[in-house]
Amino acid sequence: MEKRLAEFEAAGVRPVAISVDAPQVSQDLSKKAGFRFAILSDPDAAVIRRYHLLHTGGGPEGHDIARPAEFLVDSGRIVRWTNFTEDVRVRARADEMLAAAKQLR
Amino acid sequence: MAERRRNIAPWWGLLFAIGAIGCNAAFFVSPPFQGALPWLSLLFGFLSLVYLVIGLKRAFGQPQFYRGKVLSVVLTVVSILPVALTAFVFVHARKLPDSTAAPQVGQRVPDFTLSDTSGKPVSLDQLFAASSGSFSVSSSGTQSPAPKAVLLIF
Repeated sequence: MEKRLAEFEAAGVRPVAISVDAPQVSQDLSKKAGFRFAILSDPDAAVIRRYHLLHTGGGPEGHDIARPAEFLVDSGRIVRWTNFTEDVRVRARADEMLAAAKQLR
Repeated sequence: MAERRRNIAPWWGLLFAIGAIGCNAAFFVSPPFQGALPWLSLLFGFLSLVYLVIGLKRAFGQPQFYRGKVLSVVLTVVSILPVALTAFVFVHARKLPDSTAAPQVGQRVPDFTLSDTSGKPVSLDQLFAASSGSFSVSSSGTQSPAPKAVLLIF
């Protein structure tokens, strides 16, 4: 993902990650992993709930997290592409997301 | 009595058990065929059990033909753990709530405002604005144009 960031930018797509982790936790992760894309913090899972992606008790300590999902949303906030995995180990690959990004007009 | 044959089935059991665990490790490099990995890990786990059972049956059921009583027991004990782990992870990793209520293609997603890593509130609509690198950690100061789309990764 990080390695392909320039390609996403070239395709006019801004990747944004959303997690229940506190901003500080995400910042530490970001710094450690060298991520340059935005990571937003949804500690109460309010947005995750509004997007109907809540995985109750799915976190390692039994807390609520988001089920993995990816959305490509255009500037009219219309969903253009989605990916809902059936298996937490199988996330959308950068290749697939870039292919979807390049389909956008 | 003729020389008893070697009992290599338990070794196949061990090999497939290692393969099952190896599939789980392969997710970290997310290969193009990663969608098949969960099923491959399950298949390897199943084949491991089949060969372990064959090995045990040969060693204990036909001791006049096959050697390897101790070996088949040891390899079975060693292989069972990774196979059980593979099965457990398979079930656990797929225990996900369904996504039918989530926004689908063509639907409009709700706006939201959340804190970025520096604690600054950012709205979805703001993400569509041209950025001065303020949304990213590397504030190189370069102005990037307004994106056509935002990729939300939950």
